[in-house]
Amino acid sequence: MINDKNSQKIVDILQNWARKHSLFVLAYGTGCGAIEIPPTMTSRYDAERFGIRGAATPRQADVLLITGYLTTKTLKRVIRVYEQMQDPKYVIGFGSCTINGGMYYDSYNTIKVLDKYLPVDVYINGCMPRPESVISGIVKLQSLIAEGKANGAAKYKENLDWYRANQKKIIPNWVMPEYNW
Amino acid sequence: MELILNILGAIATIVLAFTVGMSYGGIVRKITARVHNRMGPPWYQNFIDAFKLAGKTTAINHGIMQHFGPAFIMVSSIVSLMIVPVLNGGGWFENLNFGGDLIFLLYIMVFGPLGMALGAGQTGNPNSAIGITRGLSQMVGFEIPWVMALVALMVQFDTTSIVDIMRIQNESGTWMMFSSPFAFIAAVMAMLGMFRYSPFDIVGAPTELASGPVSENGGKYLLTMMSSGSIFAFVKLTLYVDLFMGGADNLIILVLKTFALYMIPVLYGIVSPRYRTEQSIRFFWGWPTFFGLLAILYAVFV
Amino acid sequence: MEKIKSNLIEAIKGTYPDAREQDHEGNRLDFYVKKQCVPSILNYIKGEGYIHLSHIAFVDWIEEGEFELIYIVWSPKDKIKIFIRARVDRENPLMPNIESIWRQANTYQREAREMYGIQFEGFEAPNEFVLEDWNEIPPMRRDFDTQAYAEETFFHRPGREDAMDVREAIIERSREEIPDFAKKYSR
Repeated sequence: MINDKNSQKIVDILQNWARKHSLFVLAYGTGCGAIEIPPTMTSRYDAERFGIRGAATPRQADVLLITGYLTTKTLKRVIRVYEQMQDPKYVIGFGSCTINGGMYYDSYNTIKVLDKYLPVDVYINGCMPRPESVISGIVKLQSLIAEGKANGAAKYKENLDWYRANQKKIIPNWVMPEYNW
Repeated sequence: MELILNILGAIATIVLAFTVGMSYGGIVRKITARVHNRMGPPWYQNFIDAFKLAGKTTAINHGIMQHFGPAFIMVSSIVSLMIVPVLNGGGWFENLNFGGDLIFLLYIMVFGPLGMALGAGQTGNPNSAIGITRGLSQMVGFEIPWVMALVALMVQFDTTSIVDIMRIQNESGTWMMFSSPFAFIAAVMAMLGMFRYSPFDIVGAPTELASGPVSENGGKYLLTMMSSGSIFAFVKLTLYVDLFMGGADNLIILVLKTFALYMIPVLYGIVSPRYRTEQSIRFFWGWPTFFGLLAILYAVFV
Repeated sequence: MEKIKSNLIEAIKGTYPDAREQDHEGNRLDFYVKKQCVPSILNYIKGEGYIHLSHIAFVDWIEEGEFELIYIVWSPKDKIKIFIRARVDRENPLMPNIESIWRQANTYQREAREMYGIQFEGFEAPNEFVLEDWNEIPPMRRDFDTQAYAEETFFHRPGREDAMDVREAIIERSREEIPDFAKKYSR
């Protein structure tokens, strides 16, 4: 009865509902997009009414919000932060720079396509995306979670070798702990 | 049979404290949001958070003490909950109220932060270490007026039992906040630090310390800390109501009184920025200590 | 201000006859000097009250085979900023070290060493400044092709090849002529 498939389904629905309504966001403010987070959280756009809350450390966070371009140097830290987060975890790529490089398409030290290095669940387009689009991106993520489709972490775990190969290609000096959970 | 009833009563107390404490947390978030001119999360947001945190994996291991830290806080909260009488006359919530409980309570209330210090110390996170240092320093600050207020009460009425103090208030018909006002003022000022709202939120300051002592704890550990914090908030509020506001005859009056009391640190916190550690300690060793001293003098000579 | 400027020009040209000055309007004054003279000139004008090293800028004159270093110094008393310009050979860029005059020059010199490959005499600092694990030629040199490097190193999302050149689109709309010098940069 307890391990019955249908009861597991009910638990999943309940858990997905809770996850959807309580997203702890770790905003990794590497690029210019970090400036869009304060208006999103404060009184004008008030993301807290969706249950969104800032998390200060990766251990407590559910969503990694990557705001803007990632240099090869910060990519290393972002991977570290992402791997420290606990399941279930989601990644939101924020701004054109994470999608196709944006205005840094020919820069020698920023990566162009984020989803080759980390499993991105939702992309938010724009340079910079306004708080409305940030909120719509988060609502999109919520609907994905409710449908059980936001499974980037599982994808990362399955294809870890492929992601690692891509990461090591631009980070030759790889000194990081094993990812084993 | 009596034993089973006692156990059931204890469980009912814990459930009550958890529910009330978590709802208060959610209502505080809502009130904060309204003061900021925002919609804010629903009042049951903390329950959703708790449910979600229970479903997160916890794959962090820094050593044994890290796992014991949250348990220590939980134990401390529940033991102090068992000692504080919830209602006048006991009833279902009698639990472990005994003769010398006020002194025991003073000890057990600092047990939680110490366990937390051990747990957070082992995680090796520098933010945790700084947060613990700040928390213990601040505790040294607000414990002094708080103990002074309690000593004043004990001297004035010649008892160390919370039940006795509640009985005296009910027999005389005046609340302790009127019959020994200085002790009440000192205790309320100490309460500002106890609840760690702004300007005394130096322990978990999110932008400075990345949430301080809990920064390595996610998932179920965070859930344990969150729920024990809620229970502890309920304990502290009930204790204040018992000591200074004549206790409560039923749960509705209890909720009303504790909520009114809770609004003091919350509303003071919403409009305040954050103190530094030394400013905070200087605050507590200033006027609150003065009022505590006045309360003892009042208790001895009047 | 003009008097202060002419006094300064006189004093510097008296000591360093091959220094060439260029007076600008307002509070700016340029000197073109030899690279060996840079520390002593900086030392001298620091004694004259030009105590603030605002910046060291670097220019890559690839056509002339030289790097130019521009030391920008500011006097809070006279309200004049002086640009000391010195050129160094591009093949063997070795500059005198001015860290003993201003300690903050350390940061700028590290940047120059990493981004342009300019070396400084007796300069000791950690090797990496901003870049990590960099194996190519210094990236701010003009012979470093950043687009080719980016295309080779990073993944690219297809779909931006037909992105319109904004300048051409604007010109087509308003029927303007592209000036000749701009055509070189237009895609």
